[in-house]
Amino acid sequence: MAALAQDEAAPMVRRAHLARQTLVFSGLLTLFAVAFVVSLCVGRFAVPPARALELIWLGATDPWRELATIDERIVLLVRAPRVVLAALAGAGLALSGAALQGVFRNPLVSPDILGISQGAAFGGALGIMLGIWGFPLISMVFLSGMAAVVLVGLISRINGRSETITVILSGLVVSSMFSAVVSLLQFVADPNTSLPAIVYWLMGSFATATWERTLIAAPGLIIGGAFLWMLRFRLNILSLDEAEAQSLGAKTNRERWMVFGLIAVIVGSQVAVSGIIGWIGIVIPHASRLLVGHDHRALLPASVVLGAGFMVIIDTLARTATAAEIPLGVITALVGAPIFAMLLRNHYRERNGS
Amino acid sequence: MIGLENATVRFGPRTIIEGLSFSVPVGRTLAILGPNGRGKTTTLKAMLGFQPLDAGRRVAPDIVGYVPQTGTSNQRYRALDVVVMGRAAHLGIFGQPGAEDFQIAHSALERAGAARFADHYFDRLSGGERQLVLLAGAIATGSQVLVLDEPAAALDLHNQERLLTLLNTLRQPRDKAIVFTTHDPNHALSSADDALLMMPGGQPLFGRVAETITPQHLENLYGVPMRVVELAGPSGETHQAVLPAFAGIRAA
Amino acid sequence: MLPDDVTGRGFNMVSLTRFASRGLLAAALSGLLAHGAAAQEITFKDQENREVKLAKAAERIVSIVIPMASTVIALDGGTKKLVGMNPTAKSAVLEGILSKIFPETKDIPSDVTAPNFVPNIEALTATNPDLVIQWGGRGNDIVAPITNAGLNAMLILYGTEQLTRDYMTMTSKAIGKPERIKELVDWRDRVQKDIEAKAKAIPDDKKPSTLYIARALSEIATTGTKGSYNAWYMELVGGRNASAELNGTVTINKEQIAQWDPEIIFLNAFEAKLDVNWVYNDPILSLTKAAKNKRVYKMPLGGYRWDPPNQESPLAWMWTANLTQPDVFKYDLRAEMKTAYKTLYNYDITDADIDGILWMKEQGGSANYVQFKAK
Repeated sequence: MAALAQDEAAPMVRRAHLARQTLVFSGLLTLFAVAFVVSLCVGRFAVPPARALELIWLGATDPWRELATIDERIVLLVRAPRVVLAALAGAGLALSGAALQGVFRNPLVSPDILGISQGAAFGGALGIMLGIWGFPLISMVFLSGMAAVVLVGLISRINGRSETITVILSGLVVSSMFSAVVSLLQFVADPNTSLPAIVYWLMGSFATATWERTLIAAPGLIIGGAFLWMLRFRLNILSLDEAEAQSLGAKTNRERWMVFGLIAVIVGSQVAVSGIIGWIGIVIPHASRLLVGHDHRALLPASVVLGAGFMVIIDTLARTATAAEIPLGVITALVGAPIFAMLLRNHYRERNGS
Repeated sequence: MIGLENATVRFGPRTIIEGLSFSVPVGRTLAILGPNGRGKTTTLKAMLGFQPLDAGRRVAPDIVGYVPQTGTSNQRYRALDVVVMGRAAHLGIFGQPGAEDFQIAHSALERAGAARFADHYFDRLSGGERQLVLLAGAIATGSQVLVLDEPAAALDLHNQERLLTLLNTLRQPRDKAIVFTTHDPNHALSSADDALLMMPGGQPLFGRVAETITPQHLENLYGVPMRVVELAGPSGETHQAVLPAFAGIRAA
Repeated sequence: MLPDDVTGRGFNMVSLTRFASRGLLAAALSGLLAHGAAAQEITFKDQENREVKLAKAAERIVSIVIPMASTVIALDGGTKKLVGMNPTAKSAVLEGILSKIFPETKDIPSDVTAPNFVPNIEALTATNPDLVIQWGGRGNDIVAPITNAGLNAMLILYGTEQLTRDYMTMTSKAIGKPERIKELVDWRDRVQKDIEAKAKAIPDDKKPSTLYIARALSEIATTGTKGSYNAWYMELVGGRNASAELNGTVTINKEQIAQWDPEIIFLNAFEAKLDVNWVYNDPILSLTKAAKNKRVYKMPLGGYRWDPPNQESPLAWMWTANLTQPDVFKYDLRAEMKTAYKTLYNYDITDADIDGILWMKEQGGSANYVQFKAK
């Protein structure tokens, strides 16, 4: 009798769980949608909200329209690509962070750990110094970000496998190396042309977002993100230890490097158009875990939406709060660091408590 | 079925196993016994395909239902999610589990007697409960082979009984090949058909339980005198057990 | 030792005179020598109140400060005394007319410092300078290496016209030509007073908002009014700094420029690839009042760039004045430039040179620019 009652209780618990997840996701999606629309309506140049909404509608329904007036151009040529890029970048970085934390079984890693950002920065700094701009520059950034990951792979590969700790240490070595070279390049760069470009873009910003740049970065962000999305169940498997994962049919080494490669594509694309942006990759997956749990099937989608929304809000603050552009790194650190500290304490309190 | 043919594994100058051959066909259960350091774990790993062989070969299906001693528990997955991971092989690298996979996971949990904590967090379960969930996961893979690594080692007596009963329940339909390692020969007696004894001197003994789980062989295996003991089982029937001679206390 | 005839026969007038005159001569000679040595030594206090002592007029000067390289050349009338300059000054030399007037400037080393004013001590000491001109007020990290190497440093401060005149005067003294600076300072004073007098009558509502773009190509930067030399002379000539609310030099975005909607935009002369098309071709900036009225101008590059304080500043003020308030200021810029270049560099500037300096090819079509064309 007692056993039967318990079996009936289980489906109810399951339904409650499903209901909760649905609620959380609706909340996140609503938050993102609101943030997106509000960001398009807000800025240093005053555009009345009604007019802004009208322009968004016109822009969405008739994208090839000739834009003549300043408010049209501000909303659709300055704000729109910037908000879109911020959303894509935030989603990509959060997704990468969540995937990486799963693969490394360590909640404290971020995409920077593979040295991708620093490698990409090196490619960018070198390109700028050589006078390369535009699409070739973006390609250079992207390729050197991938090169960093390949280097990490080569260094950490022993006997055809790479242990987790070796990958982390190799990533540290590679990223330090690239950082140092970038500093060196800054020292010899022409102070009127190259140096400000390098410095500014190392700091991370969406201020230079145009539709052209957004559309260049979009494929990498979207395709890389899509593949990671499809790996969300597989990440559960990869988060188990080697023996368990392999017994379930996973080719752990190969699949882990697939994840790293996809992350390199995402982060490389992001750095290429907006410089180095930190914190999102660590903090957002954690916040998402608090909301939807550790199962990557829910965690990755939650990270995407939360990352996109967060980045949009932060970037809008950066460009609107004062006449000057506040560097993104400043705001993300100001907001991210305390949140991260809180999450850290919660994490260890829970572990010790349970 | 699962087994090894003429398998040899060496770690540098040390030879762990040499020329080892045995097989477990579908429908039979094998218990592997041996003291620490004599190749029990190596044999298990070789069967699972985690240990490359220096000679010989491994015979096994593509997917083996592996039940590790402890699950990696730092990720807070629900028990059901842990079990449904067993479906991974059927889904491919980009696959997502569907309703049918969850159905299979539920059945596996029921078969393992763990249905009631499907929605509990895995890392909040006790050791015994986790073991059952991991077993359900192995069942959910749909493999005809189950390999359990020291399944009763960390369990208290109550949970040991449950586990052994469960193994027998799984054995009964004769639709799986089951292998488990153990320190306790009584586990082999109660729940296995065959036994592999990792004897000293590199000459393992393989055969049916009745022929291998004898005081003589066990004494050779463990280097400790063993005695057969008769006792009254839980429902009054007579049970036979094998105990080390040093067990218990000298009676007055 | 007294001569025999004196000790022997007592005082003899002739010997006494001879002795006295020798003594006097010796005294006079030594006195003259001492005075001459003292006259050679130059001491003064630099703008951080440090005492700068030179045994004699400086012969080998390195200027880590960017505009001072060309100032030293102008004050000295030649390149002999300049033995090192900042890489950013070098680029101005190579891009501008100074390398035409003084071809040897192309060979003056610029590796003595990094662009960010951190000195490269190896290269610096290799030029064997007796005076190094460096920024004060920016911390000791860029000064200590110089003084630790036993070199003479003169620290100057940036920001106002008065400071500029003071440090130019100091430099003139240091190179042993204290009288040279007078005509330059007088000129500046004359022009400033003339502009002030004429600008006084301009009512506030007739002052156009002007925006100086300090950086454009990597990110967009401009300056607030406090501490900015550019803002000072833009307001001197009857303009209003559109970005007055900012604090220092900061990054802004195009939306902010659209919000300010300046009536005149001045582009910096530091970015060689920057020209007025950067504004006209941009979908947002082309809709500003400045763009619509074609009042977009790149700062000229003469003996040095006209943006920051330098020896050609009065020309910069006059140019800015004519463009900001064309009804009030009608300086004959070409004539002024001809006189100035003769005074500063003893150079007879040609019409083609002037066109180059004023970017006539690139922005000849800008509003009110036809006044600068050759007659």
